[in-house]
Amino acid sequence: MSGEGLDRWLETPSAEDASGLDWLATKREAARARVRDQGIPTSKQEAWRYTSVKRLIEQGFVPADEPMTALQPEDIEEVLIPGLESHRVVLVNGRYLPELSDLGELPPGVRIGGLKQILKSDPDALRERLNGVAGEEQPLFAALNTARMDDGLVILLERGAVLSQPVELVHLSVGMDEPRVAQPRHIVALEDGAQATLIERYVSLGQSLYCTNSVLEVSVGRDGALKHQRVQNESPNAFHITGLYLGLGEGSRYLGVNVGLGGAWARTDLQVQFTGEHAKCDLQGLYLAGDQQLLDYHLDVDHRLPHCTSRENFKGILYGKGRAVFDGRVYVAKDAQKTDAAMSNRNLLLSEGAEVDTKPQLEINADDVKCSHGTTVGQLAPEMLFYLRSRGIKAPLARRMLCLGFAGEILDVLEPEPLRERVADQVGHRLEHAPLA
Amino acid sequence: MLSVKGLKANVGDKEILKGLDLEVGPGEVHAIMGPNGSGKSTFAHVLSGREGYEVTGGSVSFEGQDLLELEPEERAQHGLFLAFQYPVELPGVNNTYFLKAALNSIKKSRGEPELDAISFLRLMKEKLKVLHLDDSLLKRPVNFGFSGGEKKRNEIFQMALLEPKLAILDETDSGLDIDALRIVADGVNALRSPERSMIVVTHYQRLLDYIQPDYVHVLARGRIIRSGGKDLALQLEERGYGWITGEEEAA
Repeated sequence: MSGEGLDRWLETPSAEDASGLDWLATKREAARARVRDQGIPTSKQEAWRYTSVKRLIEQGFVPADEPMTALQPEDIEEVLIPGLESHRVVLVNGRYLPELSDLGELPPGVRIGGLKQILKSDPDALRERLNGVAGEEQPLFAALNTARMDDGLVILLERGAVLSQPVELVHLSVGMDEPRVAQPRHIVALEDGAQATLIERYVSLGQSLYCTNSVLEVSVGRDGALKHQRVQNESPNAFHITGLYLGLGEGSRYLGVNVGLGGAWARTDLQVQFTGEHAKCDLQGLYLAGDQQLLDYHLDVDHRLPHCTSRENFKGILYGKGRAVFDGRVYVAKDAQKTDAAMSNRNLLLSEGAEVDTKPQLEINADDVKCSHGTTVGQLAPEMLFYLRSRGIKAPLARRMLCLGFAGEILDVLEPEPLRERVADQVGHRLEHAPLA
Repeated sequence: MLSVKGLKANVGDKEILKGLDLEVGPGEVHAIMGPNGSGKSTFAHVLSGREGYEVTGGSVSFEGQDLLELEPEERAQHGLFLAFQYPVELPGVNNTYFLKAALNSIKKSRGEPELDAISFLRLMKEKLKVLHLDDSLLKRPVNFGFSGGEKKRNEIFQMALLEPKLAILDETDSGLDIDALRIVADGVNALRSPERSMIVVTHYQRLLDYIQPDYVHVLARGRIIRSGGKDLALQLEERGYGWITGEEEAA
């Protein structure tokens, strides 16, 4: 059956997208077939058990095709972080806008640009990379992205290249007359020994209704290192979907921080594959869901090779009628001996109406491994609140301090300092206006 | 300063305080001693406004105000301070941030200007010296991973910073070795002043060697059954509580 309701997401790309690349057309066609085969997910599917796509489909999103060329640098100032020095790439409604970006000087062996631009100038650099980590067997929203993407961020680091300054992707959404869906595709490829930091921020101007359906394919070569910090702070009415695919080579290190603050409905799928031994993957996460918000995380960590390490540490704060889902799966294949995997999901529920569905799973087929998982769902401890209040601190501030203390473990991983400070302020601001009791 | 009359309080269905009377004047140090289960800690908690204690009778007036009507933070803002027997660990809450929030909350409630970061740091440095505290404690989360002695010193440090009118020290000596006890007691003694009163709750006379009280009260079965000077504490040390309470003291 066809992806009814999402059919319009597949509407023929505008003329300027026609890159004329046969291999790309083939990949798109295969993705269209995947979309048609899968249809709309239902709650009978394990991956969609707790989250309904009904709300998303009802919006009738159509592709965001017009480039937003009217924006001036001063228009986006409010979403930039003062003091944050970066190679900045700005995408507006899924499209790379060089005039708003500030790449600065790039060291040798580093290429940063828009997907569309590089598909034109050097398509061969992307031929193997597109679907290179995600593969062809993509779930619905990733397949939609593959079928319909036309721009995004590309970061290519040659062997041994080191970026000392972070790359900052600012994905800005601006409301249109009709609710739009942007489907950016990002490719981040670090060859052997390359090192970089990526900051990925999803922001909006105003409180408009739109959808972002992004896919990232990240590969880190042998002994490479990537610190990847994502802050999803979409408009409170927005829908957000991320498919993040990681391919980690021998001895590589990946540290990911996922912060989810915004959006009315947000779904993140993280898929980790180790392509070499002795690789380390550390996924940290923080989500804050209030009234009318649903934040849904699916983690899939695949240990098929021995001697790899994975950590998942996600913390959630829920208030009002906020909802969250944490579905974490760690799979250890028979031959993946000496796997070291630990998963943790802790949640703070600040109101009776808030809800979290947490489901950590370990599937272990090897016998010489170190694996653990733990989850907690609790409230603020009364004795902690009392301690603060007994020092003259009013109850609302005391609650906020404790929540920020809970979140601090994840926030402290963010760097540089201006980024950490901005996100901590946003969390504090949200808590200040949250009905916490 | 503090006037407690016929105070009765329950924990759950059980009556713990059964008509407690106590008058504390400005600058006075009162020791409250008593066997385990006599209601000492309950009394300290009721004064500070902790949840889970139901006051069923009597009154507490603090500087002319009905203390029992106030929220815990309001009591602190009016100048009451409880040094906890078991200071609570607050993972992720930075000690300096906490101390500044507390001091400024109190100042704000009194209509006084809040301290900026620099004046606050200066004030902290000054108070740290009094307690021989290492300033690395300030960078750590509140009480988190502190040793027993560090926790107690952090309590007295907070007291030094917040400058209460009435401080209640709830078994501050418990779990301290003799050196730590001396440091804590020195800190407390440095804070004695004609305007600041203290209630020192303790099981053992030991602490009173270092913090000399003006008055000693014996609390048993929810009432003060004997009051006297500091000699009373020495007698208790020698003879145990049994000769007053008429009971065998629990070992």
